[in-house]
Amino acid sequence: MAVFKRGYERYNGPLTGSATRFLAVPRFVWPKLLGQRFVVILLVLSLFWPLLCAGFVYVSNHADLLPSLGSGGDDGIRKMLSIDGKFFAIFMNVQSTFAILLAAIAGPGLIAPDLANNALPLYFARPLSRWSYIGARMMVLFGILSLVTLVPGLFVFIMQASLASTAWLQANWFLGQGMVLGFLLYIVMVSLIALTCSAYVKWRVVAGALVLAFFFVLAGASQIINQVLRVEWGSLLNPGYAIYAVWCALLGVEAAEDAPGAWESFTVLLLMLAALLAVLLRKLRPVEVVS
Amino acid sequence: MNQIWIIAKLEMRRAFFSRRALWVYLLALFPAVLFFGHGISVQYRRSEYAGKPVTPAAVLDRIPVGTPDTEVLATAGQPITDRKWRRRDLDRRSLQYFDGSNRIWLEFENGALKSRNRRTLNSFDEDSKVYAGVFQFFYLRLAVFFGCLGIFINLFRGEMIDKSLHYWFLAPVRREILLLGKYCAGLIASAVIFGGGALLSFSALLSYQSSADLQGYLQTDAFYHGTWYILSAMLGCVGYGSVFLAAGLLLRNPIIPALVMLLWESINGFLPELLQKLSVLHYLQSICPVAPPLDPNVPPLMRMILAPAAPTSAWAAILGLLAVTALVLYAASRTVRRLEINYGTE
Amino acid sequence: MSDDQILFHNVSKFYGDVLGVNKVDLRIPPGITSLVGPNGSGKTTLMNLMTGLVHPGSGSISVRGVSPFAPEKLMRIVGYATQYDAAPRGVTGFGFVLAGLLLHGFPRAEAERRAALAIETVALTHASSRKIAAYSKGMRQRIRLAQAIAHEPEVLVLDEPLNGLDPLVRAETIALFRDYAARGRHVILSSHVLQEVDVFSDQVILIANGMIVAEGEIRNVRDEIHEHPSQFLLHCQQPSRVAALLFEQAEVLAVKIDPEGRGVLVTTRHRDAFAAAVQRIALSGIEIDGVLPMDENVDALYEYLIGGGK
Repeated sequence: MAVFKRGYERYNGPLTGSATRFLAVPRFVWPKLLGQRFVVILLVLSLFWPLLCAGFVYVSNHADLLPSLGSGGDDGIRKMLSIDGKFFAIFMNVQSTFAILLAAIAGPGLIAPDLANNALPLYFARPLSRWSYIGARMMVLFGILSLVTLVPGLFVFIMQASLASTAWLQANWFLGQGMVLGFLLYIVMVSLIALTCSAYVKWRVVAGALVLAFFFVLAGASQIINQVLRVEWGSLLNPGYAIYAVWCALLGVEAAEDAPGAWESFTVLLLMLAALLAVLLRKLRPVEVVS
Repeated sequence: MNQIWIIAKLEMRRAFFSRRALWVYLLALFPAVLFFGHGISVQYRRSEYAGKPVTPAAVLDRIPVGTPDTEVLATAGQPITDRKWRRRDLDRRSLQYFDGSNRIWLEFENGALKSRNRRTLNSFDEDSKVYAGVFQFFYLRLAVFFGCLGIFINLFRGEMIDKSLHYWFLAPVRREILLLGKYCAGLIASAVIFGGGALLSFSALLSYQSSADLQGYLQTDAFYHGTWYILSAMLGCVGYGSVFLAAGLLLRNPIIPALVMLLWESINGFLPELLQKLSVLHYLQSICPVAPPLDPNVPPLMRMILAPAAPTSAWAAILGLLAVTALVLYAASRTVRRLEINYGTE
Repeated sequence: MSDDQILFHNVSKFYGDVLGVNKVDLRIPPGITSLVGPNGSGKTTLMNLMTGLVHPGSGSISVRGVSPFAPEKLMRIVGYATQYDAAPRGVTGFGFVLAGLLLHGFPRAEAERRAALAIETVALTHASSRKIAAYSKGMRQRIRLAQAIAHEPEVLVLDEPLNGLDPLVRAETIALFRDYAARGRHVILSSHVLQEVDVFSDQVILIANGMIVAEGEIRNVRDEIHEHPSQFLLHCQQPSRVAALLFEQAEVLAVKIDPEGRGVLVTTRHRDAFAAAVQRIALSGIEIDGVLPMDENVDALYEYLIGGGK
């Protein structure tokens, strides 16, 4: 009996709009990721540093409570306790390590299995374009990486803003803005690296190693280029350094004088992101390749 | 023994010649390429400076900080290069002189001498320290680590993902023998690649040194240093290889232990002495012939709390590594005996 | 004698919470034995258990006196062509078979000779130098079979070996199984093509939900199933008369004229009594051309025992 004779009907209910359709992917992946033991362990571990920083913020805003700093206080210690761009740069630097580890664990499982099982045609047969597929996968990482970067960062900033005077906020609002922009750029970079690694090798395990190698080996390689060739531009090959240079500029912190500046770093980062995207798009072709 | 060798031979072809192994070669050869590149640039610089005017170092050293640039030019004469720029509201100027073997930069801010930097055209001592740093902080900690991760995890976990491990299990071979055969294949491949990489980079280091430096070094420490560098790279493969082979057998996602190990090895220098001795890197560094300068990655604050443990004696380090390897392989052999083919869970 | 048999004693295997096989007791004599059952019934698990690829949670297995925990001994007498379609990366057909033989310890020249012979047996000589990755499904099936037979094993275990084979190769492969069995060896295979199994199997093991439902020669298995009546077709010239006579027999449950006009279809619970009744009718002068069992093939057994699972 033909299928249509059995009374099947086309679905006539409401459809999700094409702009938000890709959100269905992260909606299913997030709970799965949060069910993974190592992801949860990393998320918990990543809370310690923000809590420590929050404690520091509290102490710096209640310096009068410290007997040695009472009325008049020691200027050196007060300066050390001040919450400024350097404080947020250090905060972001430490917190970004957790983002890399999370991306190395959560990222490889996002595209590699789809490629290994020839599942891409299934996605692309539905009304999802390559861009929305990438957007959906990025959204997964954006959500999970925000938990260790943006969310705790904003928490610390808002805490400082609420404890400090209005004058502090007026003078330092750019720190919050710089942190958000810096973390957003960082999340995009880490997500693209993780997704590209996941698409480049079909094995999850190898993709995970590749994400780690991308950060650690490039950092090492950039250092030895600097050391062996006695140059400074090698640092630009280190995505960790490049993003830090951009953060320093956003937070108004002076970077090392002899190292490449923020604009050079930003340009290299953009080139790297473009290259990663090109590789990703090339790998995500909606065809089944049988070797 | 015969079966181990047959398995190793079959596996080695894959470890050496597969397209996947290309990046392992890249990691192993990167320092050699850099040192060769540096050698070419040193030789180019030597020929470039051969015809440059020479200003005695003593003349430059006598110029006190704060001297105006015009006065410096009058005293020291025309520089080889004269560069001016403005940064952070300061007029900056850099004059470069050459004293016959060193390049000297006099740095000015707003027209007054601020500092002087000296850099030799090439210093063997400096290069030798840089090589030690590259070898310990990049080669052992990253290249050998990730190379072994790729090679050794591929031996079992890779075949499980490829769904082809059962062919080995259907051979009339004891599982322990299979494990040893595969380990030997990985070890030979990684030792040749990374030992060869160490040899090449060491040769590259020597290739551009002045004949006087080279002769002196060859007559004293060259053979000893070269041997220990190669040996420590190979021992790195022995230690990391066994750990990653076992991780590939025990865990579905061996990246987790790799991550933990990478972090452990990275923070090793900050740990108490006893804990420092619980790392492969500690033993490998113990048998490295030249102490490197401090890891340039370490931020200044961290440098203060770095307390490297006293190195273990070379033979104790080798024996310790071999003992740990034997222990790990024994645990892996017990696991492989119980291992089942169940690709559905991969 | 257990040294020429494959024995399963109270073997159970669970994959986590999922049942593989449960309390299996089997004694498989030499010859061609077919494992039949629906998907997920435990056929592959049984094969993996007897070749040591998975280990039993409880119970014990012996393959011609060798434990599957001793692969160095077991795999000298066993050749197993699995269902896994993958082959080692980048290897040619010849290299694949040769590698197996080298691991058996054959000298290279002898291994090459045997590899060529095995490949020739499965009619793949023309493609032996090509990479397996470029083989069709049927060719991959055959090269796995070649590797399984290359060392002339006493026990040949084959997971769905006829899948994807063209009719000519299929016939040659079946001939190969028969040749193996005729030499007193074990050929154990699983298949979904029930008619084929029916034709060439000496024994059948029916398995469903991880449990052995029936085992033995097809006829014997059929005999043991008393709760299900047997059906026969009596070829005769006078079907109405024969039907009337048969109705009088107590052991006959139902009689009907074959709609295709071949004779009478009879359903009975007692085969021996029915045979005697047919003999009496024939002796009374009514011509009976032949008696044909209608449900003695694996298909019918499968239907009876597993219930529409094919």
